[in-house]
Amino acid sequence: MSEAPESYEAAVERLEQIIDRLDSGQAGLRETLELCREGRELVTYCSTELDAVGEGLKELELDDLAAKLEQA
Amino acid sequence: MGLPGPFPVGRYARKLEEEMRRRARVSLIGEVTGLSRSKAQAYFELRDAEGAVPCAIWLNELEKLELPERGLRDGAEVVIGGGPDYYRGGSQASPSFFFRATHIRLAGEGDLLARLEALRKQLRAEGLFELQKQLARPRLPKTIGVVTAESGAARRDLLAGLQRRGWAGTVVWAFAPVQDRRAAPAIGAAIQELAATPAVEAIVVTRGGGSLADLWAFCDETLCRTVAMLRVPVISAVGHERDSTLIDDVAAVACSTPTHAAEAVVPLDCLAAREALARSAAALRRAGEGAVGTRSRHLVALARGPARALRRERVALNQKTREIRAASERGFAERRAFQRRIALVVLSRAARRAAGVDADGKREALRRAQVAFRAHEPERTLERGYALAEDSGGEPVTSAAAALAAKHVRLRFADGGVGAEIDRDGGEG
Repeated sequence: MSEAPESYEAAVERLEQIIDRLDSGQAGLRETLELCREGRELVTYCSTELDAVGEGLKELELDDLAAKLEQA
Repeated sequence: MGLPGPFPVGRYARKLEEEMRRRARVSLIGEVTGLSRSKAQAYFELRDAEGAVPCAIWLNELEKLELPERGLRDGAEVVIGGGPDYYRGGSQASPSFFFRATHIRLAGEGDLLARLEALRKQLRAEGLFELQKQLARPRLPKTIGVVTAESGAARRDLLAGLQRRGWAGTVVWAFAPVQDRRAAPAIGAAIQELAATPAVEAIVVTRGGGSLADLWAFCDETLCRTVAMLRVPVISAVGHERDSTLIDDVAAVACSTPTHAAEAVVPLDCLAAREALARSAAALRRAGEGAVGTRSRHLVALARGPARALRRERVALNQKTREIRAASERGFAERRAFQRRIALVVLSRAARRAAGVDADGKREALRRAQVAFRAHEPERTLERGYALAEDSGGEPVTSAAAALAAKHVRLRFADGGVGAEIDRDGGEG
């Protein structure tokens, strides 16, 4: 990825801009391909972020977490 | 030292006692701490965030007040009436200062609300309500901290709310008492520990509903000042909709229930986000394929263009070549016929010279008449190189329109006939 997005919300906002631009039909071939490439990277990033909070709830108690951090 | 005295200290102590007892009687509100009893009196400290006063009440007076059982206990918010007192002690007994209470009642909703309003006004004036609200809140935190009671509906409701949003990240629980007098410092400590954990992106503080006295820990001035200064956003969901605690004012977001808190701490509905992302991915794929597909089809069409143009040119060229060849063959034939005619003229002139110019006048006239006559015969015209076009029935074809209509004609030359096909373009060029 050329540059990791600042946050999920920033990634989604940029993705929406890209799709609006593509939908406008005003982008030339080079720009279209460039936007598609950037868009695919953003989709991958967002998907990774969603996966990170989609694989099963983890519950920790603060004391356990502190002990874990001390061990690390 | 230039000061009045020295006075005997016992006399001064009695004066002090008298001074104290003359001071105005007032009522105070605060939390009871360090309650203890002797044979005759109950002692405690009345405390709030800013300070404390040692208090005492005679047990017989306390009994007359008919407080509820265990009404006067550590952590209770009470209103006391009385005034300052000073016990001057004696040769063996230690002196002491205290507030002599003659009335005690448990603080009612009205007292607490009045105190809450005063605190609220003060914290708002200090700008402490705005600090948390200016913090950026992540739409999709991976780790959230939660301060709540270990057993309670709030914990269950919050988890259910998170599940409904399709969020299954990491929850760090910091369990704390949420009701008794140790609650406020314990809650404050838990929040601070969570905020100090780098992975924690937002903190939820929650408990179920109750009376204002039950929720009083969440109006604690020290706790609320702590929350206001944190750099991690705090979402409060304390009590029910009608309850408004001070922590709600200083928090980044105040929610009426733990379920709402789940929506506030994870603003993104993960299930809906997944669907939206799939739609975006499909739109990108369509745009990419569309742009390349349309353009490549156009390119293929363009690439075929030159070959087609070449083929067209080649056909035209071949046609011209055929026409030129046909024209030049026609030209040769015409030139040969012309040369033959020249030779004929030269020979006949030579013959005339040989025969003499002054021969018989009659024969000469006859010859001239014959020549004139023959000049009108079609055969003569043919001999001069002209051709006669005839249709299939042997009738002369005398116009281009008739020739086109006939399609096939016979061309009669002096030396014989040939068939010919009529070409629409006239064979020019």
